Amino acid sequence: MGQGICVGEHDMQESNVVIETRDLTKRFKDVLAVDALNMKVRKGEIYGFLGPNGAGKSTTIKMIIGLLRPTAGQAFINGSPVSDGRVELRKDIGFLPERISFYDNLTPVQTLNFFCELRRADQSIVPSLLKEVGLDDVAHRKVGTFSKGMTQLLGVAQAMIGKPSIYILDEPTGGLDARWVKVVRDKIRALNEQGATIIFSSHILSEVQMLCHRVAIIDKGRLVAEDTIENISSHLNIRPRLWMHIPGLNDKAPLWLNEIEGVEAVAVKGDTMTVTCDGAVRLAVMTTIREKGLKIQDFRTVEPSLEEAFVKLLSVEEGS
Amino acid sequence: MLLNPRPIYTIAKKEFADNARNKWILALVSIFLVLVIAASFMAGGGKLGEMGLTVTTLSSISAMLIPIIAIMLGYATISGEAESGALSVVLASPVRRVEVLLGKYLGLASVICFSVLMGFGTSGIIIAVMTGEAQWGGYLAFMLLSMLLGLLYLSLSICFSSVLKRRVTSLAAGVVIFFWGMIIGMIVIGLYMATGGSLNEFIMGDTSSIPEWVWFEMFLSPQDGSSAAAMLAFGETEFMGYDLDLPPWLNLGTLVLVQLLWTIVPLTLAFIWFQKRDV
Repeated sequence: MGQGICVGEHDMQESNVVIETRDLTKRFKDVLAVDALNMKVRKGEIYGFLGPNGAGKSTTIKMIIGLLRPTAGQAFINGSPVSDGRVELRKDIGFLPERISFYDNLTPVQTLNFFCELRRADQSIVPSLLKEVGLDDVAHRKVGTFSKGMTQLLGVAQAMIGKPSIYILDEPTGGLDARWVKVVRDKIRALNEQGATIIFSSHILSEVQMLCHRVAIIDKGRLVAEDTIENISSHLNIRPRLWMHIPGLNDKAPLWLNEIEGVEAVAVKGDTMTVTCDGAVRLAVMTTIREKGLKIQDFRTVEPSLEEAFVKLLSVEEGS
Repeated sequence: MLLNPRPIYTIAKKEFADNARNKWILALVSIFLVLVIAASFMAGGGKLGEMGLTVTTLSSISAMLIPIIAIMLGYATISGEAESGALSVVLASPVRRVEVLLGKYLGLASVICFSVLMGFGTSGIIIAVMTGEAQWGGYLAFMLLSMLLGLLYLSLSICFSSVLKRRVTSLAAGVVIFFWGMIIGMIVIGLYMATGGSLNEFIMGDTSSIPEWVWFEMFLSPQDGSSAAAMLAFGETEFMGYDLDLPPWLNLGTLVLVQLLWTIVPLTLAFIWFQKRDV
């Protein structure tokens, strides 16, 4: 894991951990896809699994669900090591793979009936599941005629069979159009509110920021950070910023602003100024600006974004 | 590590129903039916011939057709589904891999057995009714041998499907496996010629001078072995009108035993490889 950051690990209660990986490693011939990955997912949280394409997200997820055999290390579900013989562990997991595909000759109803049978769940929930993902009007069309997005939605319905308490979703909104992205995100929130633990991977930072309680950032198979977005940001010194629109500024940064204690950086572009500073000095900054005779026409605070944390973390990684 | 019969049944049922929906089964039953009736007409010289002759005429064609069908049913069942992604969801369910593979094998096997039973069975009844004489023992053995040949090639195709990564490579492997059974005969004859033998022995019907190892070809080629077993099952030991002088170790029992080995060994390998496979 190298110099990766894992802040807040001390308050982790073992009994609350539903998914854990210990030194999980996967090597494909000469490529080290996942490198001694240690992560813990707590009960009841939405855990974002973030990283650029090819970072090892899907490989890790596949090892957790048992589709891939780890080269070294082990994944644990509810404290038990994952292995093919322990099928009961998977009964409590709803899984949506990255590239989902079903049997072309079956209709959505037949598909879900098949998976209900495999998961030993009652088939009477099938119509309501299809309604929830908006596939009720194509319930008797063959899956082979479906678009990628429709297949993805059927995958979401499939994952909900048997009301599992853990969901592992690999790029759940990938390939969906905007309308269905919202449906899936709302679904993730709703399931979480009903008590389910959700792990989902994504390379869309805003999505992760919007939904997740905690995130794991992974790059080149290694865990770069695992924490809440706020903690990662504060650890990386990514501060909220004050954005102001001041007419007549004309690219000139007033030097006197830097003299205020607590101001870290001042950036000016055209008539807008961005000040990175502690929250407590924001008012002082704005008062000073007004005292100097400048007029603040508009202002807002910009919260630290995961994107910044991400870029910063990855550049730190590159450097090391 | 007891197997759970429920997921096995679920998957087998799905495979059978899937192929029934594909109209595979209907096509197979029709092909088998037409084939037997046509062979019977050939054997009877324009009218329906008796069963023994019909099977002799038929066995070489069915020994070619049944492997093709079994390979077509089985070659992509693992590799194709792994490539498309359909297998991931199945394997992420609370089922063991052994159960998945067994379910697939049983489901596809029942497609073959059902088609043989319906196609050959119906035509057998037609011939028996029309000719008024039935060699049911031999004909039943022929049907069973045909099913066994189907199961054999299904094992082989599932075996390479569970080790190969992609659909196209397993299709290529299917072609190789299919031609193996046809080419090995030529290779053995070639070796026989190269070691001083001549085709005269075959043509003149004097098979006693043929070295025993040549007959071993019947064990190497599942297709030839199956045809030979079908003839022996009818008590036919003639080849082009001449009596065959077979070595004592080549009989119906040993032929069936070897066919069973050809079925069980690849299937066992399939289980081992599928268990280790990265999906």
